[in-house]
Amino acid sequence: MNTEIAEKIKGMLVERLRIPEDELEYDSELFGDDIGLDSIDSIEIIVGIEALFGVDISGAGAKKEDFRSIETLTAFVEAHKED
Amino acid sequence: MLMNEKRCVITGLGLVCAIGDDANECFESALEGKSGIADVKSFDTSACYSHKGAEVLKSNEELVDGRYDRTTALGIKAAGEAIKDAGLDMESDVSSEVGVILGSCIAGAACVEKYYNSKVKGEKGDIEDLKAMPASAISGNVADYYNAGGITANIVNACAAGTLSLALAVDMIRGGKGDIFLAGGCDSFSSLAYAGFHALRALAPSDCSPFNHSDGITLGEGAGVLVVESYEHAVKRGAKIYCDVLSTGVSSDAYHITAPRPDGQGQMSVISRAVKNSGIKFSDIDYVNAHGTGTAKNDESEFLSLNTVFAENNDLSVSSTKSMTGHCLGAAGAVEAVLTVKALKEGKIPPTTGYSDEDLEVLKEKAGHINFVANKPVERDIKYAMSNSFAFGGNNASIVFAKDPNTLNLTCPKQELYVTGIGMVTGEYNDETKNYKANLETEVFKSYGVKSAFLRKLDRLSQIQLLSGLKALEDSGLEVTPENEGAIGICIGTTDGPMTEIANFQKGIIKDGIDKGSAFAFPNTVYNAAGGYLSIATGIKGYNVTIANGFQSGLQSICAASGAIMFGYEDIMLASGTDECTDIDDEIYADLGLTGEGGMKLGEGSVTCVIEKDSSAAARGAKRYAKIAGFSSARDTSGNRLDNSRLSEESLTKAIVNALKKGGIDASDVKCIYGFGNGVSAIDDFEMSVYKKIFGDSIEVKLIKKELGEARAASSSMQFAMLAKDIYEGKVANGLAVSFGTSALYSAVLLTKA
Repeated sequence: MNTEIAEKIKGMLVERLRIPEDELEYDSELFGDDIGLDSIDSIEIIVGIEALFGVDISGAGAKKEDFRSIETLTAFVEAHKED
Repeated sequence: MLMNEKRCVITGLGLVCAIGDDANECFESALEGKSGIADVKSFDTSACYSHKGAEVLKSNEELVDGRYDRTTALGIKAAGEAIKDAGLDMESDVSSEVGVILGSCIAGAACVEKYYNSKVKGEKGDIEDLKAMPASAISGNVADYYNAGGITANIVNACAAGTLSLALAVDMIRGGKGDIFLAGGCDSFSSLAYAGFHALRALAPSDCSPFNHSDGITLGEGAGVLVVESYEHAVKRGAKIYCDVLSTGVSSDAYHITAPRPDGQGQMSVISRAVKNSGIKFSDIDYVNAHGTGTAKNDESEFLSLNTVFAENNDLSVSSTKSMTGHCLGAAGAVEAVLTVKALKEGKIPPTTGYSDEDLEVLKEKAGHINFVANKPVERDIKYAMSNSFAFGGNNASIVFAKDPNTLNLTCPKQELYVTGIGMVTGEYNDETKNYKANLETEVFKSYGVKSAFLRKLDRLSQIQLLSGLKALEDSGLEVTPENEGAIGICIGTTDGPMTEIANFQKGIIKDGIDKGSAFAFPNTVYNAAGGYLSIATGIKGYNVTIANGFQSGLQSICAASGAIMFGYEDIMLASGTDECTDIDDEIYADLGLTGEGGMKLGEGSVTCVIEKDSSAAARGAKRYAKIAGFSSARDTSGNRLDNSRLSEESLTKAIVNALKKGGIDASDVKCIYGFGNGVSAIDDFEMSVYKKIFGDSIEVKLIKKELGEARAASSSMQFAMLAKDIYEGKVANGLAVSFGTSALYSAVLLTKA
């Protein structure tokens, strides 16, 4: 996993969605009981990732499982990022 | 006749929106299926995926004389038409009786934009914009414009605000708090709402098409104002009567801050409440003006709700007029109420436009057994018509209009009301910031079982509100269960509401662009988010209203909560006063010149009181702090209209004297007053001089703001709560809590021993 990307995504989640940093691990289930995100949060994640990496994860076909954790989001960004 | 069965009638209509300049023009346009939706002109939407809006193509100056925020200007325009239509001479004595209750979602959003445009550039903002930003300013300004002297209130329950305002006006009349009200709602087109719904991906890419393509809403703007009047008052002055307002329903989803319950339970509950309170059957309703926004979530749950509750009604017509007017947010319920009254009066139902032949085929499936009126108007006799509004925060409101009077089903026997629980959150003084801040550590919430996954969504105002609500429930020993969840309601008073969230959201889109609003932050910019979160966290599914009307809002919430119990809507109400103190609030009050040397010290907090009827308190053996013996409000119309917080000896005296009269207590028997003095000498001196005239020199006056700061609506609630505690502890036998606020409204509540 690209920890540089993961750290940026984590920071974005903490800032945009007010998730307590100490409760957020790379493998935390974002939409499960751990963090409890919902559909509004997923919109914010799409916007946040586009702002950070220029990757339109929605347009690039991200599926529900890609939003599962910071790890899966990182993998998706890494695969679709244009350098 | 019981007071609460008083006939209420509609005697005047005023309407302005994208399809017309007055009620007649709007109704004719609606019948013709003329849409007001076009490309947005108010601001540049080129970066957005949608460019549509239903704007009123008139400048503020064309709408109204004088300088007002656009939301207020629209309200003044529609109120003027309603006054004229009702034949009211506002230069005569009747003007002193006319109250003003208006709903708004976004309040002074146009002024918020202007003010923060200046601030972001590092310039000094215009103080007139600043004064016009909060919802608290709207009704008072409209009342002052027309010299109306009755009670004012601003209802701020987002998209249900227009309908809720009408509901409150009806209750005020039936509760003996006035005989005639200008009631409705107003909201302007705004970059704030546009960016917010854009962020939520809730805007339709092209013209909205409710119950059809259901791919989103199209925002609109406008105002609807109805003259709601007691039948006796209308007859006495020879007014023409459009129809009766039978009754209303108000409920909470307790589900999600923006989305309706997919199972439609909250919507079905509110429709059922309105039908039951009106004393009619589901099969009696001929026409429903649906909320029908055009989002998939709304349209699916609303069709499900209508098909389920009206299963036995085989001749029900339904339409949504939002396909033409756009979604006018806090004005929507009022705009639709005017169109519904016109439909009932003329026997013509305006259609929902935008259906192709293919769409009409699909509609047959979706609409079930409902006669959905698409594309073309339908002529039919309408005896009973309903208008529904569902809002962010899970707030639902429904109202029933009727051609003829009816025996209502508001048969709640008269009962004493008690304070049976108190929850307080107050600020502690900070020497550095020179203000008072509350402790909102996560651990405090955890001790009440609030998960951090939920808490993170709440803005500061909502957090303070949630905490005081939870403390009040705990103090009263009240557990919310599936059996009582519908018999408990919430009423919140606030001065500034979520101004911090509003300002930060606006600053964000000024900086980053209208297409870059935060979907996470936007839901918290509505004033009723705090009440919505409280219902979600506690499971309370009854009445839910938020009133923004200056510092006295904490007392006004007690009055409205008492009304909701008196009419049998609920057994128990949580009545709160809540205001926050953030850097934004600090800046606003400093810019207004109200803090600093010789000024007030800003505080924050939330106080929730559990108000309960005698039989409910007795059944669960609840402790009783005190009895609510009387309350009254009075508004000034004689002072300087440019100062909406003007001091008025006459109005303060009237509020106190009337509250004592209601409680059957002589001024000489009053033991104590929890006053509103806040360290500003002009206010403190004025207050003491009035009390001395009424009660003599020896009256004990307690001023809590010295220790807790000016926490605005939280302070007035706190005055009430502290008095209740003093009575409970045997320190005093009775007392008054007194406050005043924007729109020069003075309120007094009398508490006695339980």
